[in-house]
Amino acid sequence: MSAEHIYRLLLRAYPPEFRAKYGREMALLFRDQCRESDVRTLGFWVAVIGDVARSAPTLRVEAWRARASENTQTMEVIMKLAAMLTLLLGGVIGILNAAVEWVAASQQSISGTHEVSLVLGALASALLLAAGVAILNRTQRGRQAARLAVLTSLVLIVAARLLFPWMSIFSQLIGIGLPVVLLIALYWPRRASPLGTA
Amino acid sequence: MVRSDQEGAIVTKRQTRRPPEAYLPLPPATFHILLALADGELHGYAIMKGVAARSEGTVRLGPGTLYGTLKRLLEAGLVEEGGERADPERGDERRRYYRLTQLGLSVARAEARRLDAMVRAARRKKLIGVRPA
Repeated sequence: MSAEHIYRLLLRAYPPEFRAKYGREMALLFRDQCRESDVRTLGFWVAVIGDVARSAPTLRVEAWRARASENTQTMEVIMKLAAMLTLLLGGVIGILNAAVEWVAASQQSISGTHEVSLVLGALASALLLAAGVAILNRTQRGRQAARLAVLTSLVLIVAARLLFPWMSIFSQLIGIGLPVVLLIALYWPRRASPLGTA
Repeated sequence: MVRSDQEGAIVTKRQTRRPPEAYLPLPPATFHILLALADGELHGYAIMKGVAARSEGTVRLGPGTLYGTLKRLLEAGLVEEGGERADPERGDERRRYYRLTQLGLSVARAEARRLDAMVRAARRKKLIGVRPA
């Protein structure tokens, strides 16, 4: 087995993508080294194995980190898309729900607090809808507006819930669950983009 | 052989346009590679030989350390590939050449200034430039 053959086996310690790009160059460089050194000495092989042992694990960790970062970014995009879609849908459903409740309640005698809570619920849903639109804007100002709209919506729905304790579970999910999910999505820790922020 | 534990510290964000000082201090092997490339386009083996000659044999880069560092320098935008061609002195095999970018040159200059300031400080404190007792 030639020295170069052994070195090609050692190259397997490096990440595949690194090997694909630099493997040929590294083998070429090793061949140059072999021409100018005595490959039969122990010192030569100690240096070769030492180099592989130092550099390969670092490059493996870097490759793993790069993959993990890509996965995190993909997860972040999926989460944001899901949050936006849910938000837009939730906003529409929330407004419709408030309208249906209003019609149903108006057929009976509707109390003042119930009336106010329905108005607050409709406003909160409209704000959720506005937040979804603001996020689609994808600018820093859009994100800030969305956060403000979501927070305000959350406050309104909590106020509506306090005024009208018999609020349906469905309304509470849309009014409280959605803003919370969206706030998590908006404040999800993320790395600074290498392309900078918009 | 010089260990290059800090090699991983080289930042790999090409597009962030960080100032040259943000890359400092450079790991010794990285600075040696930038110094070698300051002479012009070189292939891997020429870089390795240049580093060994300049350091009088104290820094010997193996293929893994050399190409690992070059990969990071490429990703950071400090070095760029200059194409592939054969080196007439080393046979017909085509070799990939590397050269410094403007940012790479600025970073090498900034590191040289930093080291120069440290050497001047050591001299002022008479740690160097005086005969040992």
